[in-house]
Amino acid sequence: MSVFRKHESIVDRAASDRTRHKKKIEKAIKESIKDVIAEESIIGQNGKKKIRVPVKGLKEYRFVYGSGEQNKTVGSGGEHSLKRGQKIGKQRAQKGSGQGTGKASDKKGDQYYDVEVSLEELAEYLFADLQLPDLEKKQFRFITQETVKRKGYRFQGIRPRLSKKETLKRKIRRQKMAEKTGAYDPESDERFPFHKDDLKYHHIKPKAKENSSAVIFFLMDVSGSMSQARKYLARSFFFLLYQFLNHRYERVEVVFISHSTHAERVNEDDFFKVGTYGGTIISSALKMQMEIVEKEYHPNAWNIYTFYCGDGENWASDNEKCIDLFKEIKDVSQLTAYCEINESYKGLDDDSLEDSSVKTNPWANFSAWKNEELDNLWARLRPITDKKFKRVMIGQTEHIWMAFKSLFGGSKTK
Amino acid sequence: MSDWTVADLQKWDDKICRVGEDLGLDWFPIDYEIIDYAEMLGAMAYTGLPTHYRHWSYGKEYERTHTLYNMGQTGLPYEMIINSNPSIAYLMRENALYIHILTMAHCVGHSDFFKQNRMFAHTDPSNIISSFKSAAKYVRQLIEDPSIGIDKVENILDAAHSIKYQVPRYPGIKYKTRDQIIESEKDKMMENPDYNPNLSKVPIRPEYNLLRFIAEHSKNLEEWERNLILIVEESSKYFIPQALTKVMNEGWACTIHQKIINELNLPDSLYLPFVKLHNQVIRPHLGQINPYHLGYTLFQKIIEEKGFEEAKTIREVHNDITFLRFYADEEFMREHNYFSYSFNRKQQSSIVDDISDVEGWEKVRDAMITNVGLNRIPVVFVEEIEKDGTLSLVHEHDGRDLEMNYARKVFEHIKTLWRGEVKLITIVEDEIWEF
Repeated sequence: MSVFRKHESIVDRAASDRTRHKKKIEKAIKESIKDVIAEESIIGQNGKKKIRVPVKGLKEYRFVYGSGEQNKTVGSGGEHSLKRGQKIGKQRAQKGSGQGTGKASDKKGDQYYDVEVSLEELAEYLFADLQLPDLEKKQFRFITQETVKRKGYRFQGIRPRLSKKETLKRKIRRQKMAEKTGAYDPESDERFPFHKDDLKYHHIKPKAKENSSAVIFFLMDVSGSMSQARKYLARSFFFLLYQFLNHRYERVEVVFISHSTHAERVNEDDFFKVGTYGGTIISSALKMQMEIVEKEYHPNAWNIYTFYCGDGENWASDNEKCIDLFKEIKDVSQLTAYCEINESYKGLDDDSLEDSSVKTNPWANFSAWKNEELDNLWARLRPITDKKFKRVMIGQTEHIWMAFKSLFGGSKTK
Repeated sequence: MSDWTVADLQKWDDKICRVGEDLGLDWFPIDYEIIDYAEMLGAMAYTGLPTHYRHWSYGKEYERTHTLYNMGQTGLPYEMIINSNPSIAYLMRENALYIHILTMAHCVGHSDFFKQNRMFAHTDPSNIISSFKSAAKYVRQLIEDPSIGIDKVENILDAAHSIKYQVPRYPGIKYKTRDQIIESEKDKMMENPDYNPNLSKVPIRPEYNLLRFIAEHSKNLEEWERNLILIVEESSKYFIPQALTKVMNEGWACTIHQKIINELNLPDSLYLPFVKLHNQVIRPHLGQINPYHLGYTLFQKIIEEKGFEEAKTIREVHNDITFLRFYADEEFMREHNYFSYSFNRKQQSSIVDDISDVEGWEKVRDAMITNVGLNRIPVVFVEEIEKDGTLSLVHEHDGRDLEMNYARKVFEHIKTLWRGEVKLITIVEDEIWEF
């Protein structure tokens, strides 16, 4: 005789372990995202696109046997006639024999396991709890527009704001009272007209409305000195910036301006693909941006973000012009960043990162240029000290995240 | 909605139990928990145990099963029973009556196996639930302790789980303390004057219980950390007999459920779907071993040739390794067309190594034995603690190399537990390799 019981357990006993597991996945995704953003460069892609993020550390490691010739698997052959030395497909040996305790054999030798996330989710993972408290307040002060909003009712007002509904309600109320007291007989043919006291008007209050449109200007040097490797870094950086801003604003437009000695407004493909030869005049791109801003994106209506990427080389005589233009752009933009792709930059040493004063601006006094005397733009831009203008330096993919954080990260570096 | 009531289950259970007794089976009383789909997923994540300590890996297991089930790649098991006294089994509310009947008959087989098989003789089925319960409580307290917290607890559990199967392979081997070992070594020396072991070495003899050894000898571990490691070791012990008898246990349960059901005189409306499900369960998996199929077919052969009484003796005294070695003969291997294969790096493909013909069947059977239960898990033992405190471990190489990426990670985990230098010696491509 067995006993039968309706199970009376905690409804969802695995809940806390599942939450914990989920947190770990998210953490792992965040950790490997730096690698992913360097790989995947898809500005303007549909947010639904899925990308595979390799996640480390969620595997439970045990001692297992490798898949070599000594590690034989046994299986039943069914009706098939098999011969020694016959090839039977690629995955079989990896699979294990499908029994026993070892789940470890499901993907031998694979240190990663892939989690598929959409770009939207990716951006969420990246930014949702990046812990950037200052960011919300400072960098993301949206441009505000004054609008008006109805709020409550008043007895006084101008005709166009008359509330018919409220007025009618008051009239009906008065009429019913009159019926009760006998002052008015509904059966009679007598009309019951509106009275001045019935009239009610909408009250309006001015309200500041946040503008949630942004335009991002991506400016890049495509002159001969910008190698594929440098462009690749720039692209990864742009990708991250785009994802971030796109996540924050309802509507984001992107303008790509490439330049060598003259600037050109291009589409995304050409921006990254087409290379030109010849010299570099940065001011040409900056000038073009200002023109576009004037014509198409009024700073009162748009949150403007400007990101320039180049290798720092410029005609010396052009630098003066650039500084002035950067100042102009800075004044109309929410944030302007000058990003230098410089392979000789190997990252800041830990000491300088420890110093809390440099956390918001790690490159304040840094230069990868050995000869400071040279008239380089990086050094020349140093005097512009403004929260809305920042310089960042990228030498290799690992620096992208750091650069990103110094742009938006406020006070927390880790 | 469902085609049964609890009264139906009770009625069928009575019949099943009566047939079971007539067959001479002897099992623990069974408590059936009737649960729904979500609870079943929960029960599965914790391998059926009604209480279990918290760890994210069980959340992962839940999600995995859930996903597989949603994608239709796996059905939920209709049977889940744990080795306790009374045995606890689960019946999923959503299942139809014929599935419940099959499940209950199947559970009688398992519970009988738990109670009779020698491998389980040293499990403590009456206390297993309460011991898991107190472990769960202890872990919860550590997690809630503000000076410890979940991260530190996970750090130890993650590491301990990585070597949870590095415990003695045969049940009943008692862990001996150093004093006890010295005592028995001295006895041996008395008997044999030539026997001269190094009694200052730690451990004196290779120690296969890594978790226990580390918990006892690791310096710098806090009390709660040692306890946590021992909790993992304790729960491993519960699973070892099951891992050793997976093929037999499932084969026996399938044999029993079929025998019982054939005695029940089920109406066609229940019998036909039963036959379909039964065939589904015991079907061979191409290129793999389905333990249900392997165990069932081998028991069928034994019953045919030697009778049911002999089969009952076999279910008592064997484990998967001896079971296959004794009874999987040429005829059997040939009948099911078993073959062995391995991955050939040069050809980037799996290649058939041997087939069950006159020359090959023994090799295939031997390879099969290396694939069952714990034989799929490499053996690593403690060689000694060196003078500088380094924990020296050796992988018992049996021809199969370790998967190095995994081994490296496990090595790091062991360091976490040992809190000091660790050495691991193995063989990779015929060369000695030291981590």
